[in-house]
Amino acid sequence: MTARQQHALLALTHVSRVHGTGATEVRALRDVSFEVAPGELVALMGPSGSGKSTLLHVAGGLDQPTGGSVAVDGTDLSSLGQAERARLRRTTIGYVFQDFNLIPALTAEENVALPGELHGLRSGEAREAARAALAELGVADLADRFPDDLSGGQQQRVAIARAVAGERRLILADEPTGALDTSTGEQILRLLRERCDAGAAGVLVTHEARHAAWADRVVFLRDGVVVDEADAGLTGLAGMTGAR
Amino acid sequence: MGAWLRGWRPLLRLAWRDVRRARARSALVLALVALPVLAVTTALVLTATADVTGDEAPERRLGAADARIRVEGLARVGQTADPDRGSAFGEGLRDDLTLAGVGDVLGREVRGIEWESTELSVLVDGRGVRAAGEWIDLRDPLTTGLATLDEGRLPEAPGEVMVNRALADRGPGVGETLTLVDGSTLEVVGVGEDAESRAFPHLWSPQRPDGVPEAQGTTWLVEAGPVTWDEVRALNDRGAFVLSRAVLADPPSAAELHPEVSDGEADDALVAAVVLIVVMVLIEVVLLAGPAFAVTARRQARTLALMAAVGATPAQARRAVLAVAVVLGGLAAVGGVVLGIGLAAALLPFLARWSGSYPGPFDVPWALVLGVACCGLLAALLAAAAPAWLASRADVVAVLAGRRGDAAPSRRSPVLGLLLFAAGVALAVAGTRQDSYGENWVALAAVVCVLGMVLLVPVVLGLLARLGARLPLPLRYAVRDAVRHRTRTVPAVAAVAATVCGVVALGISTSSDAAQSRETYTPQLRHGEAVLVASEATPEQWERAEEVLRAELPEADVSVVTGVPAPTGEGDVHVAYRPPATSEDTWLLGGVGSTLGTTDVVAERIPAALRGLDAAGRARGDAALAQGRVVVFTDEPVEADRVVVTATSYDGRSGEEEVLADEVTLPAAYVVVAEDGGTPFAVLPPASAEELGLPVATTSLHVAGAELDRDRERAVSEAVAATLPWSHLYVERGYFADDFDELVAWVLGALGAVLMVGGTLTVTLLALSDARPDLATLSAVGASPRTRRAVAASYALVVGGTGAVLGALVGFVPGVAAAVTLTRDSYAGPQQVVGPFVEVPWLMIAVVVLLLPLLTAGVVALATRSQLPLVARVD
Repeated sequence: MTARQQHALLALTHVSRVHGTGATEVRALRDVSFEVAPGELVALMGPSGSGKSTLLHVAGGLDQPTGGSVAVDGTDLSSLGQAERARLRRTTIGYVFQDFNLIPALTAEENVALPGELHGLRSGEAREAARAALAELGVADLADRFPDDLSGGQQQRVAIARAVAGERRLILADEPTGALDTSTGEQILRLLRERCDAGAAGVLVTHEARHAAWADRVVFLRDGVVVDEADAGLTGLAGMTGAR
Repeated sequence: MGAWLRGWRPLLRLAWRDVRRARARSALVLALVALPVLAVTTALVLTATADVTGDEAPERRLGAADARIRVEGLARVGQTADPDRGSAFGEGLRDDLTLAGVGDVLGREVRGIEWESTELSVLVDGRGVRAAGEWIDLRDPLTTGLATLDEGRLPEAPGEVMVNRALADRGPGVGETLTLVDGSTLEVVGVGEDAESRAFPHLWSPQRPDGVPEAQGTTWLVEAGPVTWDEVRALNDRGAFVLSRAVLADPPSAAELHPEVSDGEADDALVAAVVLIVVMVLIEVVLLAGPAFAVTARRQARTLALMAAVGATPAQARRAVLAVAVVLGGLAAVGGVVLGIGLAAALLPFLARWSGSYPGPFDVPWALVLGVACCGLLAALLAAAAPAWLASRADVVAVLAGRRGDAAPSRRSPVLGLLLFAAGVALAVAGTRQDSYGENWVALAAVVCVLGMVLLVPVVLGLLARLGARLPLPLRYAVRDAVRHRTRTVPAVAAVAATVCGVVALGISTSSDAAQSRETYTPQLRHGEAVLVASEATPEQWERAEEVLRAELPEADVSVVTGVPAPTGEGDVHVAYRPPATSEDTWLLGGVGSTLGTTDVVAERIPAALRGLDAAGRARGDAALAQGRVVVFTDEPVEADRVVVTATSYDGRSGEEEVLADEVTLPAAYVVVAEDGGTPFAVLPPASAEELGLPVATTSLHVAGAELDRDRERAVSEAVAATLPWSHLYVERGYFADDFDELVAWVLGALGAVLMVGGTLTVTLLALSDARPDLATLSAVGASPRTRRAVAASYALVVGGTGAVLGALVGFVPGVAAAVTLTRDSYAGPQQVVGPFVEVPWLMIAVVVLLLPLLTAGVVALATRSQLPLVARVD
């Protein structure tokens, strides 16, 4: 085990994910291994259907690998039951989606407080944590608005607040800027970068090379296989064309 | 617990918001749950209010008195707080308790007035009308509250009378004269109303008119200070029933009652029936509301997946759907109860006007109402249970990726369904073999069969989808879509099926019941003939009645039947017949009839009215009577020419028995009669009756050759009642179906049709709103508006048709079982079992299975908008 693996908050080891059997078999991930350490933001790039989203779902315990293992904060997810994996998503892992995915029936603050309330925190406690997270992301004034009344950038900030609220340390972002204009997208990525600099581990799935530049490392996926892995600074734009 | 409850808070909040966003769907569930709650609550409140019990409105029965004391000459009695629930104990009779005696028992001075009640007949337009006579001085303050005076004044002297509106409207008003059937007259001085009833003619006078027979027993209203339960017991020991104001207000506990007197235990069969009805209503509501929750869960799928992404467990996802049920069920239960109580209050005045009696104070039976509300909440929770369970098993990743995340259908539930269905069939078969309560078994079997059927619906739909490949596009689309959206289709199909199952089962059992009644109907007389019977009539009254009959029915042949009078309250004479050298308990006839007002006819010829014997038998009988022989009727031939007769008389007042004839042997002829003839024991020649010391009187008047339709029957009855107050004219018309049974069948059928059409429409409209993107795609690729209507109609046809066929098939199980149970013990004669009868109402089943689904499909096709706003496919 390397030092990086030892300290990794997320460690995927020889992970594969096969959907269906026989003629309908689809190998979404094949022997994928990589780690993300605290303070690190890893960009995951690849063309459509390369397995990026599947990898993110597997990493967060929403989906189960058919081979290999996924460890979050040193805990092998396959050793956990469904309820314990759910618990991990309430306490350790935060998801950010391309289309924000806020629950329309809840206000911004309630959306952010939801994991805490589901975890059984007192309503006041969960809301306090939510307000803190919203303030950190600069949207404290939007706390009482419903998602439908927020712009895309505002919604995504709230979604990130939901992903980081309550000291969660692994942020899994699936094209968080895909539905945003360029400058708003940059702001969102800056926020993610800041969270990672503050000690969180981040995985950023993206199509765009300039977004990958915010990452410490870039992992390239194609047809479910890691084809390249490089430090973001070094890659520059190498392989970006392939990713596109 | 605190954390668990806290876990519900965000889910309930989410549910509340969802309910407010999806108004139409929420309104549908609210209506489905609230309407039954409302209906039952209204019924409970109206029943409880109409039922004047306990210390509700005591003045209606007591006036201003402290107690109402009644002695009937019994030695010792027992009662509950209400003497209407009481009974006599011990042997013998006693007639010695007086008002002074009551004072002695209570140990204090008692003031009281006597109150006599009898029924009597008054003459209105020359016809007899029955009325309740209250012989009490209403001017006495103790009577305050028993009756009200609306017009004129209270009667003060004997011969003066107050009548109620029901009587005044038919007869004399204030200042006019009221004539009783004996010809005596009373002067009407006032019109008023009884506090309890106003439908029946009532009259009040301080003193019973001389022509009216004396009432049995004596009643006093007494002023004696509060009469305690101990004092009531003491008076019970002296043979008096006591209605005490103090005891009504503070009734004794069950332990303080005499063991043989109870407050009325719940009837087991009734409880079972109520439980079954509640279960069936619950199932129906659950099945009808199920599709709405299925759509709710589908609409929530993305929210649930998002929740899972932020760490919600499957249990929390399940609760998120259930929370919608909690919110809607709670609202519906509370709303149903509140509206139900309000509706009852609003209906009360109309009901009171219509029913002819006065309701008690407004009374809400809270415990029952609460139970109903809980049932409403439970129904919503059960309706949401399956969608919630499926939602929690959905594939989160698939839903987040914008695909449908339905979990694979359970393989276990169809097996469980088959097992349940088999258990239902077994229960039904077992029910038909029970000696008693078999119908409860069958009802339980119906519930179990329906539950099994619900689990089998997905299998049936799956089969249908497989067969659907060759169907035209609209039907194929509808079948496939129905199967794809199992969670909303299955409960709807099951709801329709459960309804049809109930309708078919009831239809089979009622038509079989009717078949039994028709097949085993025993006419009392020859068709078209009539007989007039009366109790306690004098010979003069009989003569006058005969004259009336001849006058009213000039074309008829009226004959007098004489015999040993039928038993009355005053006593009776029992005559037993057996061939010599047989035991004392020998029965010659399996069924004895007293159609002619007697079981022992005394005549010189066999009365023409007697049926059940052929011409040869009649000739033999007439010949025997001419020889002075007793004609004894028998089921089986008897080889004897003598009969041993024993006659006993019983005095109803003293309870004493006297043997009139002990084992007297007389010459006789035995005549075999048809088993269902309803013939008397024997026809005695007058000389033999005299020899035996039997009382002989006119017992009935037989009418033949008259055209008696119902109007003429009523006219003749009332004309006769003017001379014979307690008479009854029976006209033989053969078997005819009971109007009420038919009405019930129609109401049930209509209710079933409404439920069936409603269920089909509900799910079809939900499906159509759910399928808008698909339909938009259909339009986009060139489907005509007509295709869209056809798809909608096909959807209704698939749901309604599948449900109806399945329900009809399943309905045969409890239907046939109930028919067998109800009609197994059918007798054409004492020994001739002709049951069971099973008659299937094919026409009704055809209407339900074929016509109703087609009708619903037609309605849907007409109601569907053919133009569809273009809908983008948004997940």
